[in-house]
Parts: sequence; C-alpha cells; structure tokens
Amino acid sequence: MATRTVTVQRPAAMDAPRGVVRSGVAVLKGMWIASRHFWRNLWGFMRGKPTVFTVQYPEERLPQPPAFRGMPVLVQMDNGKERCVACGLCEWACPTDCITIYPAETADEIERFPQVFDIDMSRCMFCGLCEEACPEEAIVMSHNVEIAAFSRRGTVWHKEDLLVPVRELERTRFRHIRKTYERSTEP
Amino acid sequence: MVKITVDGREIEVANDTMLLPALIEAGIHVPHYCWHPKLSIDGSCRMCQVEVEGSPKLVIACNTPVREGMVVRTDSPRVINARRGVMELLLVNHPIDCPICDKAGECLLQDYSYNFGTRKSRTDEPRRKLEKRKDIGPRMILDQERCILCRRCVRFCREITKTNELAVFNMGDRSVLDVLPDAPLANDYSMNTADICPVGALETKDFHHKLRVWFLKKTPSVCPSCSNGCNITIQHYRNQIWRLMPRRNDAVNDTWMCDQGRLQYAFAHDANRLRLPMVRRGNTLEPCGWDAAVKHVSDALRATAKKGGAERIALLASAHFTNEELYLLTQLVKVLGLRHVAVPLVTGSGDAFLIQPEKAANFTGARELGLVAHDGGRDFTAILELARSGQLDALYVCGSDMTKLVEPTLWQAALRAVPTVIVQDLFAEPLGQFAHVLLPSLSWAEKSGTFTNRKRRVQQIQRALEPPQGQPSDGEIFAEILGQLAEGHWTFHPAEIFEQIGKEFPAFAGLSLASLGLLGAELAP
Ligand code: SF4
Ligand code: SF4
Ligand code: SF4
Ligand code: SF4
Ligand code: FES
Repeated sequence: MATRTVTVQRPAAMDAPRGVVRSGVAVLKGMWIASRHFWRNLWGFMRGKPTVFTVQYPEERLPQPPAFRGMPVLVQMDNGKERCVACGLCEWACPTDCITIYPAETADEIERFPQVFDIDMSRCMFCGLCEEACPEEAIVMSHNVEIAAFSRRGTVWHKEDLLVPVRELERTRFRHIRKTYERSTEP
Repeated sequence: MVKITVDGREIEVANDTMLLPALIEAGIHVPHYCWHPKLSIDGSCRMCQVEVEGSPKLVIACNTPVREGMVVRTDSPRVINARRGVMELLLVNHPIDCPICDKAGECLLQDYSYNFGTRKSRTDEPRRKLEKRKDIGPRMILDQERCILCRRCVRFCREITKTNELAVFNMGDRSVLDVLPDAPLANDYSMNTADICPVGALETKDFHHKLRVWFLKKTPSVCPSCSNGCNITIQHYRNQIWRLMPRRNDAVNDTWMCDQGRLQYAFAHDANRLRLPMVRRGNTLEPCGWDAAVKHVSDALRATAKKGGAERIALLASAHFTNEELYLLTQLVKVLGLRHVAVPLVTGSGDAFLIQPEKAANFTGARELGLVAHDGGRDFTAILELARSGQLDALYVCGSDMTKLVEPTLWQAALRAVPTVIVQDLFAEPLGQFAHVLLPSLSWAEKSGTFTNRKRRVQQIQRALEPPQGQPSDGEIFAEILGQLAEGHWTFHPAEIFEQIGKEFPAFAGLSLASLGLLGAELAP
C-alpha cells in the first residue's frame, strides 16, 4: 500500500494566563445563554404564553409527518377483518425476522387469512420493508412508538393488537406510500 | 452425436432427440410449459419457440428434431417478441392470485413473466370467471382460472396412471380443464399433477394455504413407506415437515411418487413423540437419563445371557432401520451369540407401477446383512410363541410396525410373559405398556444413513429435522449398548459404518456414501 505523509500544523500551546482568561469568558458566555432562556421562559410563563419548546409527553404530543415510521400495524377493513391474506411477503422481507404468520383458509371470498400474525416489537427496527413488500397494502407503518412492555412475551404483538381501522390510516400513511412506491391506486 | 450451433456456440447433442431436451441438457434454458421430460410431446403452449436458420417461421423446440448443422437462435428479437406475445395471451385471463396461490415462488408463469413478460397489461376487459377451489378428488383441488391449458396433467393421467380423469372441455377460448362429475381425480398418484402443473391450478389439499414455498428448506431423502425407495426431497421449515416431493431418479421413480407415501410424514414431528428414555418401576414407567437407560438395557442383556444363555434372548427389529443401524444390530447378535432374530416385514397392497407390497424401506437391506432368516433362528411368530410359552427371559423390540402382522391378543400375551422387555420406538403406543425399558427412536427424517430398495439399490437419506438436544440416534443407542457389552470402541458415524459394511459384505464392497451421491447405486450381484 502506498503511504503518504502529512505534516500537521498545530498551534503553539497557549501560555497559562491567556488560557485562563479565554476559558473564563467561555463559561460566562454559556451562563449568559442559559439565563437568557430562563428569564425569557419565566416571563412567557407569567404572561400565560410559554415560549418553551419542551413537549409535556405523554400528555402532550406533536403531530408526525406522514413519512414518519413508527411500529408496523395491520389494516382492518370495514367489516372488522384484516386485509392481510397471509402471503408471507412481509415475513420474508423483514430483515430482523420478527414477523410470524400461520395462514389458514376460510369460506369467505377472500379465502386466505392469517390465523396467527405476530410481530416481535423488541426486534422490529421500524424499517418499513414489510410495508413496501406487501401487495395488499395490509401492513403499514403507524405513528405509534409506544412498544415498551414489562416482559419479553409482552413485546410480541398479536393480530388483534395490531389491527387499526383503515380510515385512520388513509391520511397518515396510505397517500404517502402510494406516492413513494409509485402505486397508482389501492390494490 | 450431431453438431448444432446455438446462439453462435457449437454444441454436440445426441442425434435422436428433440431440440428442447438437447438444449436443456447443454445448459441452455429455453422457457417452456407443456413439455415435460417424462410425458409425451404436446406442443400446445408455444413458449419454447426458437429461430432455426432455413425455416421461415419460428419453430417449437420441443417438437423439432435436431439435425446435423442446425443453426438455432434462442435470443433473437423475433424469439423474444414471440415469447412476450405468448406471455401476454396467457395473462389476459389469468387471475393473478399470487399472494394466495400455493404455487407462488415456484410458478413458471411468475418466473417467465418476470424474465420474459411485458410487465404491463394492455387489456381492461373483465377476466374470465371460472370455478375456483373446485374439489376434484380426495386429495386435489382445481382452480380453473389459473390453468394455462398446457395439458401436462391430462397427459399424466393418460400416459402414466392410465386413468384418464382429467380432460380439457370445450374449445377455443372457452376451453377449460375439468373432471367428469362421476370420475374424481382419485388415482394413487393424483398428487403428482400438482407437481407438474406449471402454475397453481392443481393444488394438493394437504399443502393448501399451509406455507409459502420460499420458506421451505429442501433435504434430499428417500421415501420410507415402501420398498420401492422413491427419491424425495423433504421440505421442512421451523423443524417441521410441510410436504414431501418426488426427486427425479430415472432408475427408481422417474419424477413421481405415490400419494400414500407423500402423505406419510406428520409422525416425524408429532408432539407426542417419545423423547425421554423410561424405566419401569412397579406399575409405571418413569423417565430416566440416557446413560442409566442404556446401562439398564446392557445389564439386563448381559445378565440374561449369563444366566440362561443367548437362547433365552430374542431380537425383533423393524425393516425401517437404516443399513448402518442394522449393521450394528448384527454386531449385537454376534456379541451376545443370539439365535432368535427376526426382521418382520409388514406387507400390504402394491401395484405394477411404484407402490410395492413390502411396507418398509429397508427389508432388502436387512436381508443383505443377514438379519432375515438368521442361522437356525425362528421367525417372528415363532419368537412370539417362544415368548408366550415362557422360554424367553429378555426381548429387545426395535420398532412397532410388526404388531400389525398378528392379532393384538397374540403379541400382547407374548410380551406379558417375558420378564424383561426392551422397546425402542417412536411412540409410547402400542408397546410402551409392556416395556420394562423404553428407548425413544428417531424417525427417518431425523437421521442420516442408507436404505436398500427392493431392486438392491442403496440410497442415502439425510437428516432434515433436528431431534431435541441430547437425544441420540438409534445407531448411537446401539453403539452405546455394544460399548457396554463388548470390547473395543463403538461409535456411530454413518459414513464409517457404511465403509465397514463394505469390508464385511461383498455386495457392498467398493461403495461409499460419496460414491452413492444423490441417486444411489446398485449392490453387486
Ligand atoms: S418495520 Fe422492518 S423490522 Fe419491523 S416488522 Fe417491518 S420489516 Fe420487520
Ligand atoms: S405482505 Fe401484506 S398481505 Fe402479505 S402477509 Fe404481510 S401483511 Fe399480509
Ligand atoms: S399460478 Fe402463478 S401467476 Fe397464477 S396466481 Fe398462482 S403464482 Fe400467480
Ligand atoms: S391444470 Fe396445470 S397441468 Fe393441467 S392443463 Fe392446467 S396448467 Fe397444465
Ligand atoms: S414446450 Fe414446446 S410448445 Fe410447450
């Protein structure tokens, strides 16, 4: 391997008195910024017009843009059933192998459905590849990121927990993914 | 041999073949639906069209004989355009059920559409509506919308099973594949139609909506259900078998297998399988460790041999064991000097095609290794009679299929009369209640080894399912017992044992697992 030598120019070390003055100035500058915010916030708070950016989560939440990817959810059709037909493409696409599906047959017109549809949220990394793979627009990324649980078993979400009515997802996600993946219409 | 030029490359092919098989043989892929290596030529799909110099129109490769100096193009713009046209026509009425179609992932329509199709539909007319999920037989369903009318299944029923259940009805664009109302597709080989159907029109009920095929891992093996030894792949996932499929071996089963064999697999991953060795204390069987169980068995065998002589011990082994396991049993017979040894063979119905009356995979192997008709010993019923009349002190039963051979009262009375009964089996039923020591056995899907089929062809099986950690294979159990009873170091490595068999039995001489390969080899006469 060819080697290349670079000569680095370092500034000369500062002498002690100059260094002390400079760092003292930096500390004062920081204190000035902090107290400026403090007084401005206090003033705003007293007038009833808070200027703080802090969001009082969980009471307060910010709206998320449609491109935001939270946990994947299953689309629930108006008849209460899942839109998923257990085709297994999301299961295959998922890089972390966190989706488990057992298909089954029904007498309905849509003859196949997932008897079991589990997502292990402790492994899901919100990558959205399941959503991209789905030919039925049946699994989409939601805005929910609240997946904490008290046990490992609790991190596994079952089909019933994952269902979200279709109209709640129309605005937040469908339009976005149809644009992103250049799908003209719904499936 | 004749020389032909394909896409500018000169190849040599056999002179009495059609162009398509010759090209496939040479590794040149030409897409095709209706041609199948084991069926007659139909020429109906037109997918295999190629350009041959000197002929004004494109020709179908499956029905054009090769001739010296032929110049063929498989990738010219004309050919590509023709394929695209065929694909487009096939897809005009296709339902595109891929997300719920069992064939998706191994569907030729999908593959060719991906490789040679147009990707865009130019029609917006409604598609043809036909019958879906039609029950056409005890093991098969038909989706008429998905059928591309290649007639492979029709030819299969006409030429292979000669039962003629399937036919194309009507004509032109109203053609539809169907069965007659009073003649369901019920022959013993009906499920092969699902294998050869290039699309998901014919599906087996057994695999319907079970699993997407791309999850399946495939392990080459041999069907254990009869002595024909059809070559199969075990298709498994999550340590469970989802289906068995035939594997081509022209010397044994071509590309077929029988439905009965295909459906015999669920026992291998049954949750009720025996997994821990057990020893009888009083009226109950209690689980014990493997070392303790093996010690128990070898102590009992040794003590009986010492006290009453080998005359008072009998060994019954199922013909489902591999050659390697049976070889270790021959060693056990030698070490103990046993005379009462039998490999009882369960028989049933057979036919003139694949299904054999011997309902076990390795009876021929047992015979080659000298376990059948053992020197001066008795056969199965005679051994049961010895047991019943109190002339046996120990009985070692490996496998339980033999209980089907005699009345239950007969074998039950026999087992009850023996003071030490050692049972090695997959399930606690039916022998467990008579056992003093119960050793779990492994199914054919969980072990490696070889079977010898009825035509004395030795073929390999390979482990597809992982047994629970710590559970030894049958061969390992036999080796452990031998280690306790005899001098020397006994281990069980199928490849080594197979070599050992070759040294001791002239018929096996010169064979090794590597030389058997995937297709097996015949024993020396
Ligand atoms: S978001 Fe990514 S990691 Fe999570 S389930 Fe979907 S594919 Fe798997
Ligand atoms: S890809 Fe869509 S339809 Fe297929 S299994 Fe996943 S969620 Fe269901
Ligand atoms: S037959 Fe092939 S193309 Fe047709 S629905 Fe099934 S997988 Fe899709
Ligand atoms: S059912 Fe399958 S094999 Fe039979 S004609 Fe139709 S596509 Fe061909
Ligand atoms: S394979 Fe040649 S016409 Fe079908």
